[in-house]
Amino acid sequence: MDMFTLMSGLQLTCIYAILAIGVSIIWSSLGMLNLAHGFTFAAAGYGAWWAASMFGKSALVVFAAGITTGALVGVVIYVLAFLYIYDKPNYPVRALIATMAINMMGVQLLMWWFGPRMKPLPKVFGFGSVKFGDVVVTYSQLGTVVCSVGVLGILLAWLGISRRGLEIRAMMQNPEGAALVGISLRKTALWVMILSGALAGLAAVLLSQTFFVSPYAGLQPLIKGLIVALLGGLGSIGGAMIGAAMVGFAEALTASHLGGQYVLMVQFTMIIIILLFRPRGISGLLDEAREE
Amino acid sequence: MAMENQRPHSAPSASLVGHRSWFPRIRLTGQRDLKRYRIPLTRRTWFQGRAVVNPRDLTRQYKLDDKRPWFWIAGLVAALIIPILVGTNLALTAATTFALYSAINLMWMLVIGTAGIFSLATLAVVGASAYLTAWLSIEFGITWPVMLLLGTLIGLVFGAIIGLPALRIDGLYFALLTMGVVELCRVYVVQSRTFGSATGGLYGADTFIPVAWQLKTPGLILGYVAAFALMLAMLGIYRLVNGQRLGLLLATARESEASAEALGINYQLARFTVFLISSAALGFIGGFYAAYFKGASPSLFSIDQVMLLFAMIVIGGLGRAEGAVVGTGIVVLLDKLFTEFGPIRFIVIGLIMLGVTLFARNGLLGIRDQFIEFRNKKKSERRSERTEKGGEPLPEEASEIRDKDQIYFRRFDKNLRDHLKTLVTPELIEEHRIKPLGQHSDALERVLNYFRGAGGENKYVLYEMKANTEYKIIVTTGEKGIPPRDADGIVYTNKNDALHAVFLKRVQDLMDS
Repeated sequence: MDMFTLMSGLQLTCIYAILAIGVSIIWSSLGMLNLAHGFTFAAAGYGAWWAASMFGKSALVVFAAGITTGALVGVVIYVLAFLYIYDKPNYPVRALIATMAINMMGVQLLMWWFGPRMKPLPKVFGFGSVKFGDVVVTYSQLGTVVCSVGVLGILLAWLGISRRGLEIRAMMQNPEGAALVGISLRKTALWVMILSGALAGLAAVLLSQTFFVSPYAGLQPLIKGLIVALLGGLGSIGGAMIGAAMVGFAEALTASHLGGQYVLMVQFTMIIIILLFRPRGISGLLDEAREE
Repeated sequence: MAMENQRPHSAPSASLVGHRSWFPRIRLTGQRDLKRYRIPLTRRTWFQGRAVVNPRDLTRQYKLDDKRPWFWIAGLVAALIIPILVGTNLALTAATTFALYSAINLMWMLVIGTAGIFSLATLAVVGASAYLTAWLSIEFGITWPVMLLLGTLIGLVFGAIIGLPALRIDGLYFALLTMGVVELCRVYVVQSRTFGSATGGLYGADTFIPVAWQLKTPGLILGYVAAFALMLAMLGIYRLVNGQRLGLLLATARESEASAEALGINYQLARFTVFLISSAALGFIGGFYAAYFKGASPSLFSIDQVMLLFAMIVIGGLGRAEGAVVGTGIVVLLDKLFTEFGPIRFIVIGLIMLGVTLFARNGLLGIRDQFIEFRNKKKSERRSERTEKGGEPLPEEASEIRDKDQIYFRRFDKNLRDHLKTLVTPELIEEHRIKPLGQHSDALERVLNYFRGAGGENKYVLYEMKANTEYKIIVTTGEKGIPPRDADGIVYTNKNDALHAVFLKRVQDLMDS
């Protein structure tokens, strides 16, 4: 593996990990498979683009706008797909369908409002590159890796240390038990949705350094996020990270050795094989407890 | 009819008793027994109904227990006729799409609803079969009946390959796996030279529409009728699988897999069988697709298309055939007939989907059940809120009382007592104390009349032990042979005092009731 493949693999791993951890936390704490994550992603991209065109192209503005939009969309999803039905019968399936509907509507709204043309985001990390020996690493690659590793580190530490993180972890283990010890499911769920929305927003800004913002931009990240979260075992943050590394490096290696068109094929073949051997994902144990 | 003739003064009104609305009914004359037509070779009747006596006017009538067959027939006939009557190319193609998607959705419903396998590869089976049969038709010149046959086989094989992991992987993980299969197929088809990567699809297969009719109204009508027949066939398969042995086995397994296993039900095998049956049917649909469109396009493998199909079955309601058909109808109508609205129509579809999921537990077709459940819940809430009973039978008690007069009598009695309670005042008691016998005020007279009318059970009466000097109050039991008991053991020497004491006791009971 050469340095370039390693670097792009690392970059993809980071972005997939951010997306998948969002999906995974929502699943395990809210019991909802969030199919509107793709819309959150696309909307955050548009938010960042709009802010950049309004208030200037500084990195701070772009990041702040992307993350805020993502968090806001998270709140919208919380209101539409969780708040009203979370204690009603048939909730998991209904939540899944509701988020799917939100995704469909949201993408079409973006299409209607902004048109199908792709929009570029400003390069927040600049255009330069650094040399490690004989390998050139662009600033955006380096920035993505540093940024996402930093954010994920802070997030995990926050989940581990803070009171709110404790509540979220309690809800992930057993929502009913969490409610019994006095944790408000609604409040905690709101925090989870804001958090995962913000993560999706961050991923949108980071990924839009290489790709463009478009209404359908969310589909691939959504699929990748779902794949990684499921592959790692829903509800497991460690599993999601391992899954992200596997999918990210598989993508980078395939792209450099076989060609871009085989990326999906290789990824899905890998997933099918892994699922055949570990039917609940790499570290999927919590799922058993989650089912009623 | 005979009954009505005996009633010269009352015209046969729509509702003779009560204020309930009028329901259409099939009257029976009584001369001839109700003839039941059975489905050949079975003991089933076409419609489930029975002869009953209408409790209101005592005429005999035929009561349909299950009205759904009528709705099915009416709906299907309308669906068949209206597009042909409209006759425009747009209406016919939209209707054909509707029939085709309904057929696919019915089989998908079998997989999701009956077998409980969350597969997203339904459309992929259709696509694989369509692509392969189209390719075979182009390369080897096979005709359309052979395409249908081969399509079924291809579907069976494809279904077996996808279905086997379902025995091991469950729920969302299987959904992910099937999504992977769909994506693999799409990427393969888009890139493969053999399957028309250059032309955006594979075209030129044999078709059942005669050459002269192609892309003309007769051809479109033929296509629609054929697609409609396909949908009917799929409805039949759905009914056979879901309503018969396999469906029952799986319904048991859905309740509890462990108990189904304990009963000796091999639900995994049943699941797999259902998956195979539906896959074979989907393969047949694939062959039909290739024969209708003269080929196949990569859109069969797109995630968007899968999501749209899922929206259809979700809007209709999971786990019911009518849900698949109605949901498909709504979405196809919006999607095909309002194309000039662009993305807005998808927003509308999304809104319908969101509304249905938020407010309906199981799709549009589940609203009726949900409403009945809601109404029952409200009823029992009201019932439990009512703390005061006062002799009036509560609804659950009332349903047990055969003589309905009793219910009304007790309700009247309760209302009467409620009214009398308002009349009892210190002045009234004082009036009675002064003059227990003789002419009284209206209020006192009413109260006393009520006391006089009471039954013999637990009634306070005066017992004259010694003429004009010793009285005591006893309570009658109301049963023959059981002597009355002493009320309080006090001996009254004055008749008026004794009468007033009885009055006070009765008033006490009235106020306590």
